[in-house]
Amino acid sequence: MRKFFGRGLAAVAVAGLLAASTGPVAAKDLELTITAPAGAGGGWDSAARSLQEVMMATGEAKSVQVVNVPGAGGTVGLAQFIGSAKGNPDQLFVAGITLVGASISNKSPVDLTQITPIARLTGDPLVIVVPKDSPIQTIDDLLKTIKEDVAKTIWVGGSAGGADHILAALVTKAAGADPSKINYVAYSGGGESLAAMLGGQATAGVSGYGEWEGQIKSGDLRALAISYPEPIEGIEAQPLKAQGLDIELVNWRGVFAAPELNGEDLEALKTAVANTLKSPQWQEVLKTRGWTDYYAPSDEFKTFIGSETERVRGILTSIGLAN
Amino acid sequence: MESIGFLIDGFALAIQPVNVIYAAIGVIIGTAVGVLPGIGPALTVALLLPVTFKLDPGGSIIMFAGIYYGGMYGGSTTAILLNTPGESASVVTALEGNRMARSGRGGPALATAAIGSFVAALIATGGLAFLAPVLVKVAVKFGPWDYFGLMLIAFVTVSATFGSSPLRGLTSLAFGLWLGLMGLDQLSGQARLTFGVPELLDGVEVTTLAVGLFAIGEALLVASRHLYKPEKPIPVKGSIWMTREDWGRSWRPWLRGTLLGFPIGALPAGGAEIPTFLSYNIERKLSRKPEEFGSGAIEGVAGPEAANNASAAGTLVPLLTLGLPTSATAAVMLAGFQQYNIQPGPLLFTQHADLVWGLVASLFIANVMLLVLNLPLVGLWVRLLAIPLPWLYAGILVFASMGTIAANPSVVELLLLTGFGAVGFLMRRYDYPVAPAVVGLILGPLADSALRRSLQMSLGDPLILVHHPSSAIMIAIAAIALIAPFIFKGLSRFRQDED
Amino acid sequence: MQLKTIQTANRPAAVVAVVLFAIAAVTWWDASHMTARATYGMSASAASYLVAVFFVALGLAHLVNAFKPADIEAEAADWGAIGWIGVALAGLIGAIWLGGGFVLGSTLLFAFTTRAFGRRALLVDLCFGAVLAVLVFFLFNKLLTLALPMGPLERLF
Repeated sequence: MRKFFGRGLAAVAVAGLLAASTGPVAAKDLELTITAPAGAGGGWDSAARSLQEVMMATGEAKSVQVVNVPGAGGTVGLAQFIGSAKGNPDQLFVAGITLVGASISNKSPVDLTQITPIARLTGDPLVIVVPKDSPIQTIDDLLKTIKEDVAKTIWVGGSAGGADHILAALVTKAAGADPSKINYVAYSGGGESLAAMLGGQATAGVSGYGEWEGQIKSGDLRALAISYPEPIEGIEAQPLKAQGLDIELVNWRGVFAAPELNGEDLEALKTAVANTLKSPQWQEVLKTRGWTDYYAPSDEFKTFIGSETERVRGILTSIGLAN
Repeated sequence: MESIGFLIDGFALAIQPVNVIYAAIGVIIGTAVGVLPGIGPALTVALLLPVTFKLDPGGSIIMFAGIYYGGMYGGSTTAILLNTPGESASVVTALEGNRMARSGRGGPALATAAIGSFVAALIATGGLAFLAPVLVKVAVKFGPWDYFGLMLIAFVTVSATFGSSPLRGLTSLAFGLWLGLMGLDQLSGQARLTFGVPELLDGVEVTTLAVGLFAIGEALLVASRHLYKPEKPIPVKGSIWMTREDWGRSWRPWLRGTLLGFPIGALPAGGAEIPTFLSYNIERKLSRKPEEFGSGAIEGVAGPEAANNASAAGTLVPLLTLGLPTSATAAVMLAGFQQYNIQPGPLLFTQHADLVWGLVASLFIANVMLLVLNLPLVGLWVRLLAIPLPWLYAGILVFASMGTIAANPSVVELLLLTGFGAVGFLMRRYDYPVAPAVVGLILGPLADSALRRSLQMSLGDPLILVHHPSSAIMIAIAAIALIAPFIFKGLSRFRQDED
Repeated sequence: MQLKTIQTANRPAAVVAVVLFAIAAVTWWDASHMTARATYGMSASAASYLVAVFFVALGLAHLVNAFKPADIEAEAADWGAIGWIGVALAGLIGAIWLGGGFVLGSTLLFAFTTRAFGRRALLVDLCFGAVLAVLVFFLFNKLLTLALPMGPLERLF
């Protein structure tokens, strides 16, 4: 009855625009809560909401709610999740490489190895660009410029210690310069650093490919390379690996379950998520959002988290953001 | 001109009956949610975004335009009537607007805000339609040094909000600057003043400070006085409409506010607050009745409110042409576009010309609707003040805290809100102005990172700030604005001595 | 209080001065413990030091003022009312903290705030507050799918 009243109110208030969207009859009884450790609108939030949408549409879960717990690169949300969800089979958590870095550079007592990996979802390439008027034509030109004067090579990108910064450090290191001398100017996100690139205030810039795609296609920025291990259809810029640099860095996102979750409950979650990710609806989401599929099942993802944490720690230490 | 043809096509799309209805619904719910105290446009748009998902892209974006302008407009209503701005850009509106409302001139204050918003949005939307490609080329040339110059100008003009004592004004500003230090430094990732509390790593939300200082502080002050000198707000005294004199004093501030708001809003890191401070300062300087400032000068509502709305249209310039969201509201709008796999950016105007021009046309339509809807409502809004005080303030507290909970459901955030409320009360009680604290929190981090980015790019050479003519000019303006009053004072004293 | 023994004409200014010095000290201490150093240009601590110095200057100015007669008179305040609003906000924070949910918290906030403004009909106002909170909850949580803190009451719906 009460539910009906709520729905009725909804319908009246916006003249039926919000006609209640009840999914198909639920095949499973999972009632899940997904924590996105970031504010509404960002990458983790949209990943969580897409997962919510597809899980309900495919009937893999009866109901899914998304909770945003923003703060400190996701470490606030992670700490809260670890504290409150222990052993709880109804809780999921969405996170990515930025949280790995944030745990380390914020000296947070919690990190992703403390929760249960379920699946890796997507992995977006980062792109290295230069302004269109720049004399730098290829990645080798950029390496030469760095080698000549690492201080005068001004990089712009997202926040300090994030994936953009890490990639810039890796490239600096590959050029044979000292990564701790990198002149990386951090901006709050892809938007502000884009303005700095277009204004010609920087030598090179790093961002998620999708964020700068428009300017790359319109010719305002010249893409030198992407950080994905293999070439991607529809992206002209070639991987760093294909251009002779042994660097790969993917801005991955994954989904996790509560700590200390075992047995049947864990298997049920794994199956539900795996089925969701195999559905045509999920492929559709990847396409419309412009995300690159980077699926890995639970076990593989677990090893990946371990190696990724060590690798990020190594790079952050070399640029002086961790010790 | 090619643009005019496109704009006509846009109107053809926007004027279809079903789209007009979407725009009307957007305007109504945008105003209704935006008018709640403590809930600003960003939250309004974020809350209402899902409503639009059910429509086709065209209809959704049109409804969105209505929500955006409706939320912007609704925010000023509570700032004026209840002294509870829901967002930082309305803080300046509250300064004079609430004084007017207290002396029974709430009607004209709301009216000048409504008409000023209309005029500003009309001109600025026109600017968006025809100047966007040019503006954006200038805007991206704005380097960190230029931002630093702009911040210096803004800092100097803050003194206009200081009230009776410069010392108390500076102290309030310093409090804001101090809060601005809190959190992770953007450039180096260094935590400042976080005392090991992870929730503080993201710094203090401007909205939390504004709502705490204004809404909660105000409620505490009114409650503390209730017993001794009960204050009954005067719903209406005299006409609820603007008099001839009000019109005469409003139209220039509207235009000046628009001229400030639109270009600064179009800067990738300009924002809506800085033009409102600048406008308030200019109007105070230019007013024929400067003595009324601080006790309810209509220019002090007309100018900043126009600047605020013009900057809202200005924000759409980098959003549509670069895909660059420069305010929280714009970030939510970007998410709205992406929902339909439309990536704002340089290709948007060519790939989705129909949508862009439909949006621009519906902004015009939403703007007209807002005026039509809100002018008659002025009388109704003013009646809000007739609600018995206990319920009125209890309601304000419920909505103000809800706004905070909705943005970030954490106990730390609520504790901050309460703490700011207590500080706001004490500041009011001992006659410290509260607005400079909000200004300090906004400008401090911006100035800090602009200066440090400049120095990083110049490898530590401070002369970079004067090497670029644009920043050199702005720094000079700030210096003159700072020193000139003293010189004038000295000169007039000198002349008096001669007499 | 030691301040009373010194002849202060303007006690609030003296208190503010002490607070300002304390903030300056904390800020300075915090800045001196920062580890991240900028490779080029200024470090993050520069702004902290600047603000700390600013606070010291303001504190000195307040200290000077403390010995002058006050230019403003603080009016009489009803501290009971302030206390009630404090209780109201504590009710909200407590309800959220302990998982009581949004409706309970807002109801308490509403009812105790009306008490601060001199109303004694607590039961009536509790009902009013509850109705308002439930309406808000429906509007924002159900209609606009905004995640408000859930408690036992909210789970009923």
